[in-house]
Amino acid sequence: MRRMILPLAILAILSVLALLLSVLVGSSSLPLADIQAAIFEDGDALAKTLVLELRLPRSLAAFATGGLLAVAGALMQVLLRNPLADPYVLGISGGAAVGALLAMIGGMGGFIVSGSAFAGALLSTMLVFGLAHGSGSWTPSRLLLTGVVVAAGWGAVITLMLALSPASRLPGMLYWLMGDLSYARTPWYALAILLATCVCVIPLGRSLNVLARGPLQAAALGVAVRPMEWGIYVAASLLTAVAVTTAGSIGFVGLVVPHMLRLMLGNDQRLILPACALAGGILLTLADTLARTVIAPEQLPVGVITALLGVPAFLILLHRSR
Amino acid sequence: MSTSFSLALAGLVGLLPTLAVPSVLAAERCAVDDMDRKVCIEAPAARIATLSPGATELVYAAGAGEKVVAVVSHSDYPPAAKQVQSVGSHTRLDLEALVALKPDLLIGWTTGNPSEQVDKLEALGLTLFFIEPRDFEGVATAIERLALLFGTASEGDAVAAHFREGIAELARRYKDVAPVEVFYQVWDEPLMTVNDEHLIGKVLTLCGGRNVFGGLDRLVPRIDIEAVLASNPEVIIAGGMGEENPQWLTPWGTYEHLKAVKQDNLFFVPPSLIQRPTPRLLEGSQVVCEKLEQARARR
Repeated sequence: MRRMILPLAILAILSVLALLLSVLVGSSSLPLADIQAAIFEDGDALAKTLVLELRLPRSLAAFATGGLLAVAGALMQVLLRNPLADPYVLGISGGAAVGALLAMIGGMGGFIVSGSAFAGALLSTMLVFGLAHGSGSWTPSRLLLTGVVVAAGWGAVITLMLALSPASRLPGMLYWLMGDLSYARTPWYALAILLATCVCVIPLGRSLNVLARGPLQAAALGVAVRPMEWGIYVAASLLTAVAVTTAGSIGFVGLVVPHMLRLMLGNDQRLILPACALAGGILLTLADTLARTVIAPEQLPVGVITALLGVPAFLILLHRSR
Repeated sequence: MSTSFSLALAGLVGLLPTLAVPSVLAAERCAVDDMDRKVCIEAPAARIATLSPGATELVYAAGAGEKVVAVVSHSDYPPAAKQVQSVGSHTRLDLEALVALKPDLLIGWTTGNPSEQVDKLEALGLTLFFIEPRDFEGVATAIERLALLFGTASEGDAVAAHFREGIAELARRYKDVAPVEVFYQVWDEPLMTVNDEHLIGKVLTLCGGRNVFGGLDRLVPRIDIEAVLASNPEVIIAGGMGEENPQWLTPWGTYEHLKAVKQDNLFFVPPSLIQRPTPRLLEGSQVVCEKLEQARARR
């Protein structure tokens, strides 16, 4: 038990620090005193708006999105027993992207784009579920293959839409595809779902540990394999759908954060899943802070930063682990 | 019968100048394009293809609208241009359709057309004239240079002169007015603006505005709301998609301490009037100048 509490406590402290940092810095430089005043008393109106209405919701949204993606990635890796699985491997981001881009082509913005993305993600989930389920037997490899092919189909539709769209709409569409926290409106439902998932999934950690070793062992040890697998699939899909709806398809976090944590902490799902929620959140919060400050007031796409931060960190860990 | 006769007659009449003036070279018309290349054609262009919506507008403005045989998609102004056959988008030309229309002069877009396709067109022996005005004078001379190549100089020169005078008039009127800090919103998601090098930035300067993001390096920088709030502009001008403004200005209203909101200076300017380097830019500039003048009156 103590072996689990220490890393989680460290990650929790780091989470608070990352969130604090992201609220303290931005494209405009606010003195620390102003920020303090904005948070704790009636400070300057501008500082209050910047900190409480712009930076804080965005930081929380980044944290929630990163956490959702990392947990979804960890679940997918357990479900598919494939280290290359990430939240997007089964085409959820593709479906969401088609939904979002359709709304953008139609000249919509804001909530309609998010809603359309969520609908696309659910549609893709159900499509893959239905096709993989089919009539015959069902295996993770069948699910993976179905998902990968559906994802390829979405990819083609996205390319087609980009090719046919008027040039003036392209920047918005490309930024959405790269993933971008400026689309995040409210962090609350993403945070709530992240928390709810952690509460639901952590008690299942033991069963997940068994399942990760293979369905036969799991069945032999009394795990209801089929309902468990579908449960993981639905949960991971929902998490991904919420993440993609919040901030577009941000890559890399869902693939690498679970692996990084496994290299450091071992492969115990009871520890890995909550650790993913925190570490994914930390990575994306820091990446987004960099994205909006490196060449401020200009903005960079956050997906670039997650990869630039994550790739070397992951490679160093991998190299050391030998 | 009568048709073929008149056609033959037209052909003869067409030949007449050539017969009358033996030195064809003397009739050659040359102009320097925006890639600094001297382009010469032997006779006024009769079949023109425009490879950007802006070029379409400029060719019509130069008085050669009825000679346009091919345009690219989004060539929506003047309305007559919508009736002309489209040969794809400016980034992906349908070379086959374009060549089949046998244009004798192509009006290209330096940074907009893919260079592979441009090279191919030149290898096929077609003549390209590149246009990409970067300032007001560039628009005026583009019309003059095009009109020269089209043999419509009288019409084109008048349009160019009118444009030049209009801009000069605005420059005179707003030379010494009190500066107004302006934020111009090109796009809302992601939030994008322009710098001073951009034609829209130049319109703001012309009207006595000071672009709060004028000093940024990129022509169309992507910024965040925080930067706009921190710069606290007195005026916010938004473009939009097409002619409607999809509520881009509404969200700014929630930031009550913003100077532009306090003084009710959230303006919409139809993007088609200022986002293309064409004679309509004069009309757009007049609208922008009026808005800034309104803002001064509300101080």
